[in-house]
Amino acid sequence: MKRRFRTSRVWAACVGALFALVASSATAKVLGIEGPTFDLVADDGYITTGEGNTVFMWGYGEVGASSMQYPGPTLIVDQGDTVVVNLTNTLPVNTSITFPGHRVTSTGGVAGLITNEAAASGGTVQYSFEAINPGTYIYYSGTDSGLQTEMGLVGALIVRPATAGRAYNHANTSFDHEYLYVLSEIDDEIHDLVEAGKMAQVDMTARKPRYWLINGRTGPDTLFPSNAPFLPTQPYSSFSQTRPGETVLIRVVGAGLDAHPYHTHGQNFRMIARDGRMRTSGAGAGADLGISDFTLTASPGQTYDALWAWNGEGLGWDIYGHDVADALEPGEDPADHGKPLPVQLPENQFLAFGGFWSGSPFLGRDGLLPPGEGGLNPTGAFYYMWHSHTELELINFDIFPGGMLTMMAVEPPGTPIP
Amino acid sequence: MFRGLASNSASACKGNEMIRRKIARESVLAAMVATLAVGGAMSASAEVYVQCPGDTDGDAVIDDPLDPELLAHPNAVCMHLTSGDGFVNMSDVDANPTLTPDGLVTRGRPQYMFGYSDLTGTPPEDILVDGVLNAQYAAPTIALAEGDEFYLALSNVGMAMRPDLSDPHTIHWHGYPDASAVFDGVPDASISIAMGNTLTYYHRANDPGTFMYHCHVEATEHMQMGMLGNLYVLAAQNELPDGTDLNGFTHQAGNKYVYNDGDGSTYYDVEFPLQLSSFDPEFHDASLLVQPLPFAEMNDTYPMINGRGYPETLITQPLPNTEDGRIAQPQSSLVEASAGDQVLLRISNLSVTEFFTLSSPSLRMRVVGTGAHILRGPDGKDLSYYTSSVTVGGGQAFDVILDTTGVPPGRYFLYSSNLQFLSNNTEDRGGIMTEIRIN
Repeated sequence: MKRRFRTSRVWAACVGALFALVASSATAKVLGIEGPTFDLVADDGYITTGEGNTVFMWGYGEVGASSMQYPGPTLIVDQGDTVVVNLTNTLPVNTSITFPGHRVTSTGGVAGLITNEAAASGGTVQYSFEAINPGTYIYYSGTDSGLQTEMGLVGALIVRPATAGRAYNHANTSFDHEYLYVLSEIDDEIHDLVEAGKMAQVDMTARKPRYWLINGRTGPDTLFPSNAPFLPTQPYSSFSQTRPGETVLIRVVGAGLDAHPYHTHGQNFRMIARDGRMRTSGAGAGADLGISDFTLTASPGQTYDALWAWNGEGLGWDIYGHDVADALEPGEDPADHGKPLPVQLPENQFLAFGGFWSGSPFLGRDGLLPPGEGGLNPTGAFYYMWHSHTELELINFDIFPGGMLTMMAVEPPGTPIP
Repeated sequence: MFRGLASNSASACKGNEMIRRKIARESVLAAMVATLAVGGAMSASAEVYVQCPGDTDGDAVIDDPLDPELLAHPNAVCMHLTSGDGFVNMSDVDANPTLTPDGLVTRGRPQYMFGYSDLTGTPPEDILVDGVLNAQYAAPTIALAEGDEFYLALSNVGMAMRPDLSDPHTIHWHGYPDASAVFDGVPDASISIAMGNTLTYYHRANDPGTFMYHCHVEATEHMQMGMLGNLYVLAAQNELPDGTDLNGFTHQAGNKYVYNDGDGSTYYDVEFPLQLSSFDPEFHDASLLVQPLPFAEMNDTYPMINGRGYPETLITQPLPNTEDGRIAQPQSSLVEASAGDQVLLRISNLSVTEFFTLSSPSLRMRVVGTGAHILRGPDGKDLSYYTSSVTVGGGQAFDVILDTTGVPPGRYFLYSSNLQFLSNNTEDRGGIMTEIRIN
């Protein structure tokens, strides 16, 4: 049984050695645009859904970019920055931006209910604020917010603390990789009415979402790389990768109108902050009030930061499929070193396989699979589905699977992570 | 042949109807066995194959204490679940279930379902017969002790009422820490077991707490159809020697704790797993009648605790279904305790559509754990809190202790304060409600 895996182990070792030479800081960072000044436009456009539908949207985009995007550009600034956002509105209705958690000054435009607005069809407005507190934030339209957020006028804002590699100003918020998960829903009938110019017929109380999205994509599009050319208005992937023992910062944004129980397969997370405020007992204590859980309630308009790490400890078998004489992998649980898998897996003809199944129970290995099976996991990673545990939301209209799901891949040690 | 779905009441369960159904069920069984036999001839080793250290005859019961494999895995615990389909009844008809001499009852709307049943102790040659149409809701409770090596065999007996389906199944131990991909039960990222065969999962119970389990294959469908169950792990602290000092709290033999708290703060006397879930009857009917499944229009109107709506939540006896009289809903949700007891509620939610807020307006809740983890910060700060309600989303779990010291004997209520869920479909006064009886 072991011998079957030799080739792939050699292959993995070669790849690992190669990247050890070229990739010294292989960590994942959230993709976005850097501040402190942002020139945004509110525009209309279309997104596509996993089962092939097209949905009319309103969204924010960068001035000069080819289109709006959903969600809006992730705005990345440093703590202490004076952030300036210039908004130009090409929509047929007034619009605006609110930045919950910040003291915003709005300049120009026309007066609105809660902030100054950019007038329809070409109006402009400017917002500015000081990014006092680090963390993960949401921004969205402050004009007819229910409808305009549904239509796509929403995005994330990240304020980085002075020390790189931390979520907040304390060492116990340090991370190796970070990923952003902007969770939202779409009722396509509302979008159809808006596209047809029948705004008066929209009844938000009758809203019934049929699409559920992470970073503006439904599953399985969530897994495609960022900036995939066939998803021009949905640039942000949510496919996630880490390696054993490394800490992942999970930034979750409730960007829709419903709450979602977001479940992390593989291991509990520890929620260290909500709404850009660390869960702390006082100065200097860091995130000492962080809560461990396996499902996060992501409520509308709220944001969450959580730390997650997978160590593969205590399973009672060697996850690498080692012989006792083999060397330990970095961070490997020595108690399980060389222990065989305690059960035999059924032969292939009695099984169904997932595309992310490597053919082997061991990390960094692969195994023989029938033709056409597997194939999406060339590194022999362990894949964990991260998804809404309201499983109704794992569909695209009537098609399963889809919706609010993505994958976290725990890669073998040494695997490069972009 | 199973016309029960057209009727909202079980009043049509007359004798001749039942005989017809029994004939129907036996024909289905015969057809299934024949099919499996043909399959077996084509692939000689397709079989029920349970792996359990110390089990010599394949029934998942340890019977040889000197088996070398058992000596190597002395904490082995074995269980054999089957996955398939079956029937349950909802709790409407002003639920006044009546036991009749032949074991049948008057019950509410029948529902086709997918589910698990516990056939631990059944010889392997009988599994593919006994497991057919034997689904239970909620699924059999899995209760382990910390340190157990859990050999969980899953045999897929197929869906007798849906011979067009060849669905594989899995068991996802929801919340298992540092899970491996192979035993996580997510079909996209691992393996699932095909009809007529067995996959044995191996989990070491490393951490105490309230988890849950469910099938992850086509999760929206299989979970809506009922493949959901309670799963919890007892803390190793329970097994400390009598008189052990826990930071000023003296452990006594027999004491139970939710977590390894080190100070007795999660002590409890009696425990009740309460799993919230819900059915959409239109979806279940569409499944039985081989119609397109209404995913986007899914609308759960039967909210339940442990697979029953109020008032059947109060019935302590196992409840048979009205289709073939099998015990289909074995679990009561009645919480009974003596005044002075610390009552542990292991609350979880596996509804695929709803958040539920579970309220205990009379007896204050102390939340000591979430997500199968003691409510403490990373450096041990106590984060437990008092409340009268917990909002439980799908895939969430809460460990709640009710202190009944000084509480007068009587009946107290535990219910969903999303009051629209106090219903069995169109009937009011049902759904997610049960009683706490203090004696």
